[in-house]
Amino acid sequence: MQPATQAWWFAAGRLLGTVLIGFSAGWLLGSPWGGLACALGLHLGWQLANLFRLEWWLRHRSYAEPPDVGGVWGEIIAQIVRLHRRKRFHKQRFVQLMRQLQHSTAALPNGVVILNAQREIVWFNLMAARLLDLRRSADLGLRIENLLREPEFKRYLEARDYSNPVVIRPATAEDCYLSLQVVPYGDGQQLMLVSDVSRQMRLEAVRRDFVANASHELRSPLTVITGYLETLCQDPALDRDLQGPVAEMRRQAERMTGIIRDLLELSRLEETDEVGGGQPLDVAALTSLLRKDVLARPVHPRDVRVRIDSDSQLIGDEPEIHSAFSNLVDNAAKYTPPEGSIEMRWWVDENGGHFAVTDTGMGIPPEHIPRLTERFYRVDAGRSRATGGSGLGLAIVKHVLQRHGAELEVRSTLGSGSTFVCHFPPERVQPARAVLAATV
Amino acid sequence: METADLSHHISRRFNEDLERVRSKVLGMGGFVEQQLHKAITALVEGDSTLGESVAMDDYQVNNMEVSIDEECSRILATRAPAAGDLRVIVAIIKTITDLERIGDEGEKIGYIASRLATMERPADKYREIKHLGRVVSEMVHDALDAFARMDVESALRVARQDRLVDEEYEAIQRQSITFMMEDPRTIRRALDVMWVVRALERIGDHAKNISEYVIYMVHGKDIRHTSLDDVERELRQGAAGAAGVTSARN
Repeated sequence: MQPATQAWWFAAGRLLGTVLIGFSAGWLLGSPWGGLACALGLHLGWQLANLFRLEWWLRHRSYAEPPDVGGVWGEIIAQIVRLHRRKRFHKQRFVQLMRQLQHSTAALPNGVVILNAQREIVWFNLMAARLLDLRRSADLGLRIENLLREPEFKRYLEARDYSNPVVIRPATAEDCYLSLQVVPYGDGQQLMLVSDVSRQMRLEAVRRDFVANASHELRSPLTVITGYLETLCQDPALDRDLQGPVAEMRRQAERMTGIIRDLLELSRLEETDEVGGGQPLDVAALTSLLRKDVLARPVHPRDVRVRIDSDSQLIGDEPEIHSAFSNLVDNAAKYTPPEGSIEMRWWVDENGGHFAVTDTGMGIPPEHIPRLTERFYRVDAGRSRATGGSGLGLAIVKHVLQRHGAELEVRSTLGSGSTFVCHFPPERVQPARAVLAATV
Repeated sequence: METADLSHHISRRFNEDLERVRSKVLGMGGFVEQQLHKAITALVEGDSTLGESVAMDDYQVNNMEVSIDEECSRILATRAPAAGDLRVIVAIIKTITDLERIGDEGEKIGYIASRLATMERPADKYREIKHLGRVVSEMVHDALDAFARMDVESALRVARQDRLVDEEYEAIQRQSITFMMEDPRTIRRALDVMWVVRALERIGDHAKNISEYVIYMVHGKDIRHTSLDDVERELRQGAAGAAGVTSARN
């Protein structure tokens, strides 16, 4: 039998005993009912006293010992003590867990800020406080954009595209760059991750400067070498055995000049992020120029077609767009055999303007397509070197397009040719009617 | 029951309106801060393109001022705010005027920077200007932080810093005069530099104004044209009452 059940039997027995004793004592004294009432009254008083002690203990249980009573009351008190102890144990474990969690997030090398749906600060760790100059408790409930006022961050929040982090440069700190990324979670809440990327940005700047300076410094000696090689080539007194090697040296020197020119162009493109305005360009005129360039090559595809489906003009930086398009057309011309064909096409739809170059060359294996725009990336070692490319053409195309908010799409079937399409956003396209109105 | 719901709804919408305008003001402040930073960088590093772009972008500051001004008028007309809310609107209207002026001074610095970039650079590479520019940028930043946090202590600190800027201004002025006397060929450049320093000094004044509006917004006290020590004493005396105001606002 369980102790609790036993206690209940015992309590019942005690009540029965009280009734019997009261009744028999009263009977002996001549008033059995009075005796019974007295006994029940005593019993009730005793129970009330126990109840009072229990209630008093519950009120002062933080410091008072539990009352020492037996029977059912003792069982009830034991149960309460057990419940209480279990609750305290869970609470302690929870607090400990919370503390550990807080310690671990505080120790994170990155800043973490929790924002609610209104982008008000709910919580942040120590690193975030240090990086963003936030103050403990005082800044809770403030909107994050009121304290982080950099226009880039505002644009990032307004765009609501949180797939990539945004890099801001706090105005007060010298040479400090912070990378911020918002991660939405739960019911409109947002987690903002902050990291200090000053070192990466400095390294990047050093690398850019190095490439630009090195290319610049290499250019002058190379000009001298090319100049002498040119004179040597035209010298009739040159030994016949040397004519071949000198001509090859000249070709290679020219190729090197091309690479350096492209490197310089790339580093110039990298310096700024985006072209702000630009002028309307006549795509038809540009493509017919490019077509002439192709036909002027010593070996060129027989068929070079131009298809202009729209009178709309493209808004952009003229030299850059020319460089990008001519790189695409050059590539097509290089990899297309003389009996093949090239087509340039310009069209406009609701998604914006599109410029496509299609060739019937050898095509590109699909696994190489994602990496084509990397610098000096070769589909196969022999390919580009045989045609004398710098390996930077598509990198330049990618950069120019990025600066114009455009994207490059590459479609290719091995053996039957490739298509390179530049997709420009609608705001980069000026409709023909507007052009007419402007000229009138 | 319904009326209580409605009034609650209206006050919530009103709060949202106020918060949005405040965020817009601080967004404008952020843009102005960046303009100032770019202008000083353009001058110190002799970057004429950057200087020009600062001068070109000033119209955006003006547009923001107009748009915030309109929104404030709309709130005044439709919500008829009182007490603290009214003070917030008044302070905002004043703050954006000062921000716009800071933008104008930044434009001036950017313009001069693009002109100075073509000239010979002095041996000290505009070190004084760089230093003063940093102090002033920090003042603007701290004033806007105080605005965002409704923080009277920081606002007072910014207002105090203005004296430092004035002293620095005097020092650079004396130095420029010495240069001009030593070598009259530098007069043209020195005059341009004086314009920049003057603009920075003015920006410091505008930052001070903004921090004064913060104190007005929180305590309802107009502290313009009074000595800062008096202000501080008065604020400390009323600290007990003021604490209630700040906590109510936060």
